[in-house]
Amino acid sequence: MREYDLCDLVCPLSKIKATELIESLSEGETVKIILGDADSLKSVAQELKSRGIKPGFEQDGESKFILTISRG
Amino acid sequence: MSQKKSSEKRTLHKELDHKLRVYSDITQLIASPENPTPLVRLNRINPNKDFPIYLKLERYNPFGSVKDRIVYEMLRGLEIENRTLVEPSSGNTGIALACIANVLGVPVEIAVPEAIPNEKKVMLRLLGAKLWEAADELCPRFPSEGARGVVDGLIKSPATKDKYISPNQYENELNVQAHYRTTGPEIWKQTRGKINYFFAGFGTCGTITGVGRYLKEQNPKIRIIGVEPSSPNHRLPGMKRITGLDEEFVPRILDRSVIDDSVEVTDEDAYRTAIELARKDGIPAGPTTGAILYVALHYAESNTGLAVVISPDDAFKYASFYLDIFEAQEGKVRGEKYERV
Repeated sequence: MREYDLCDLVCPLSKIKATELIESLSEGETVKIILGDADSLKSVAQELKSRGIKPGFEQDGESKFILTISRG
Repeated sequence: MSQKKSSEKRTLHKELDHKLRVYSDITQLIASPENPTPLVRLNRINPNKDFPIYLKLERYNPFGSVKDRIVYEMLRGLEIENRTLVEPSSGNTGIALACIANVLGVPVEIAVPEAIPNEKKVMLRLLGAKLWEAADELCPRFPSEGARGVVDGLIKSPATKDKYISPNQYENELNVQAHYRTTGPEIWKQTRGKINYFFAGFGTCGTITGVGRYLKEQNPKIRIIGVEPSSPNHRLPGMKRITGLDEEFVPRILDRSVIDDSVEVTDEDAYRTAIELARKDGIPAGPTTGAILYVALHYAESNTGLAVVISPDDAFKYASFYLDIFEAQEGKVRGEKYERV
């Protein structure tokens, strides 16, 4: 599974990059996107919701959020 | 040929002489008290001869708007080094920034709201600027200003922060200083100190703060009137609704102490006034001019005195917006917002 660490991008750059990644997913592909702040998490989650994608979610420490995203 | 002679040959005149209008680079055309933008009296749209209204036509700046002044001022105070200039803009600041950056040989990227007119996007592309088109709701940190969010993200992200520098017109005191140093003194000189009312829009708030501060220092009785859109969702690029805005999103350079009154204007009234201005006084101006002038005309109904209205730019950059109105009037499209214009 490919993993993308976007912790060095603050919102909305993290959202812009995550959106690019989501749009580049091929059918059946799963990726992990790691975000480094709550605003990034909120805006990426919003983007996923608008696309009807329900991600897996894990939190690593206080400010590391891991979303697992699949294109079904 | 010696180095000195070669250098002399490249420069036609040693001193800047605005009467000859020969310049060593385009930035020398940016308005100043020695080279002011015109003040033009409105003779037909304003029926009250006891309240003469003069438009300050900022379109006569070399890059076409009032923003030429502030970009020049801000870049003079900026150490760009090897970084890329980046700025949020509804178009005019971006165009001025791209032009001056090209003069300096510096790369430039502009974050623009998606809803600005295509004419401005084309102009920015013509100038070689990279565009970030941002939806207003892009980022919760800047709830209605995605373009500001993009630039803030580029300046603050560890991955990009060393590559970019932003003049930051919303927080840069040089924005105010440009108007305090040039626009204010120009108006004072051009009206021979007889100005009673000054009208400007709220946007970054540099114009109203800088001009207002200068004029109040010359004569505290001069009334400074600010104009804002009646709704946060408006079609007046460059204007900002201040009322009801969380304090953290109000431009930091706004000095409310110089403002005597603030008035709301709808898109409909702004566009209708801009169209009337073109048809009655022959001045094709942008919709923000229409908004500001609408308020001045309202004042003219019950006041006397000399008024100056800032006209930030011309109509040409908004041709597609005006076309929407005409098509709505002609029934070609369903134009709910503009049917009454």
